[in-house]
Amino acid sequence: MVPFKYISPKTKNEVLEILKEEKVKACIVAGCTNVLPNIRDKKIVSKVLVDISDIEELRGISKEKDKVCIGPLTTIAELTNSEAISKEGEVLYQAAEQFADPIVRNNATVGGNLVTASPAADMAVPLLTLDAILKIESIERKRGVRLKDFFIGPEKTILREDEMITGIEFESSNINKNGCFIKLGLRKAMAIAVASIAVNLEVRENKIAQVRIAMGSVAPTPIRLTVVEGFLKNKEVNSNGLIEEAINKVREEVDPISDIRASAEYRRYVSGILFKRAFNKLT
Amino acid sequence: MKKIEIEFTINGKKRRLSVKPNDLLINIIRNDLFLTGSKYGCGIGECGACTVLLNGEPVLSCLTLAATVDGKEITTIEGLAIGDELHPMQKAFLKNGAVQCGFCTPGMILTATALLKENPNSTEDEIRDYMRGNLCRCTGYIQIVKAIKSCENNLETS
Ligand SMILES: Cc1cc2nc3c(=O)[nH]c(=O)nc-3n(C[C@H](O)[C@H](O)[C@H](O)COP(=O)(O)OP(=O)(O)OC[C@H]3O[C@@H](n4cnc5c(N)ncnc54)[C@H](O)[C@@H]3O)c2cc1C
Ligand code: FES
Ligand code: FES
Repeated sequence: MVPFKYISPKTKNEVLEILKEEKVKACIVAGCTNVLPNIRDKKIVSKVLVDISDIEELRGISKEKDKVCIGPLTTIAELTNSEAISKEGEVLYQAAEQFADPIVRNNATVGGNLVTASPAADMAVPLLTLDAILKIESIERKRGVRLKDFFIGPEKTILREDEMITGIEFESSNINKNGCFIKLGLRKAMAIAVASIAVNLEVRENKIAQVRIAMGSVAPTPIRLTVVEGFLKNKEVNSNGLIEEAINKVREEVDPISDIRASAEYRRYVSGILFKRAFNKLT
Repeated sequence: MKKIEIEFTINGKKRRLSVKPNDLLINIIRNDLFLTGSKYGCGIGECGACTVLLNGEPVLSCLTLAATVDGKEITTIEGLAIGDELHPMQKAFLKNGAVQCGFCTPGMILTATALLKENPNSTEDEIRDYMRGNLCRCTGYIQIVKAIKSCENNLETS
């Protein structure tokens, strides 16, 4: 077996050079909360561990004129301490407060959460309703990708072996300020979501001007519920039977499986309930 | 496997070590430095028994690569007392009967000191919320929460 190697580059460009050189052999490590259990279980072997945790240019939250930028190395704890996040993207703030426990939050990073691409990823769901854009770089090129186009299957993303996430951005806008995240777990502490939902909503003159809905743990990847969104758009918020019809459409659009935490039937049912709770909170 | 030289401060003392790329911090602390106060419980981040302070923040040493602590400062349970004088949180745990087998205690105490540094007047709910990842299988949480509560405003005197 080829042994592990460890490198701790000090700049983003050094990382990109290493990724180009080592290709599939490289394994970026950020907070280690996913990588280390995988090393322990021998799911990750013989890799070049590229520790990015000391690269300051990849960390931090900044508010620019019309958008909020989050470095991929930003920890979940940093999100829970950020005024910019609680003001501009409350849905993400709420999700950060429900993430694992305060100790894990000190290590776990936003970038690591997205790249792991778990169907349950708690940062992915709110960032989907904030319509976040990922900045992805390799030594040869930079590209921006909408988060909703990033996930392609359980633990699979469009990220190529020589690429890394270098930034996460969302707009400062009315709809992004009005959001709600709910995570349903089997218990309160340290639970992986049985199902989770994020809703962002903008109402103008009593009509739904814009709505974004995302869910976790109810499909092979975190998903946007675009059919339900299309159905709700331009409807009067309080119109009769609206919620009931939307609940049915939520249950049609999700695509859950049964696992040790819950059955597919339960997940489908409870998806509708979570939608109702989140929507009612926002109206 | 090629070893990496690291240098860090642990409980106020500078240490140099060679570690393997995939060595866990908990194993280095226990097996190389013989500081066996930090416990290896679950090994997957679920129990908090391995909690140490890294640059003052609580982290799980079972989910930390030893190589990443180069240049940093670690405090383990062995570093809290000053000589024979126990830290106020240690005294509070003893006084309130918050220790039974003691396996969870080092992690509990370190996490609790971090909480009170962040928020010296925590309510019981805030204590329970912050401590949610530190599991105890025998004392029960009532005494533990009571001990932490009794320590409020008292930490600065340590
Ligand atoms: C006890 C425990 C509780 C948890 N609770 C939750 C929870 O409540 N909700 C939740 O969603 N998750 C949870 N997780 C899972 C995990 O903590 C999160 O997914 C975390 O955000 C991962 O971040 P990290 O920095 O630790 O990732 P790492 O383990 O360092 O990396 C994960 C993956 O991302 C890649 N990567 C990291 N950064 C980049 C980058 N910038 N560019 C490209 N690739 C990158 C790595 O190569 C690796 O493949 C939990 C884990 C544990 C152990
Ligand atoms: S041993 Fe580290 S959390 Fe259980
Ligand atoms: S005192 Fe025994 S586990 Fe807590």
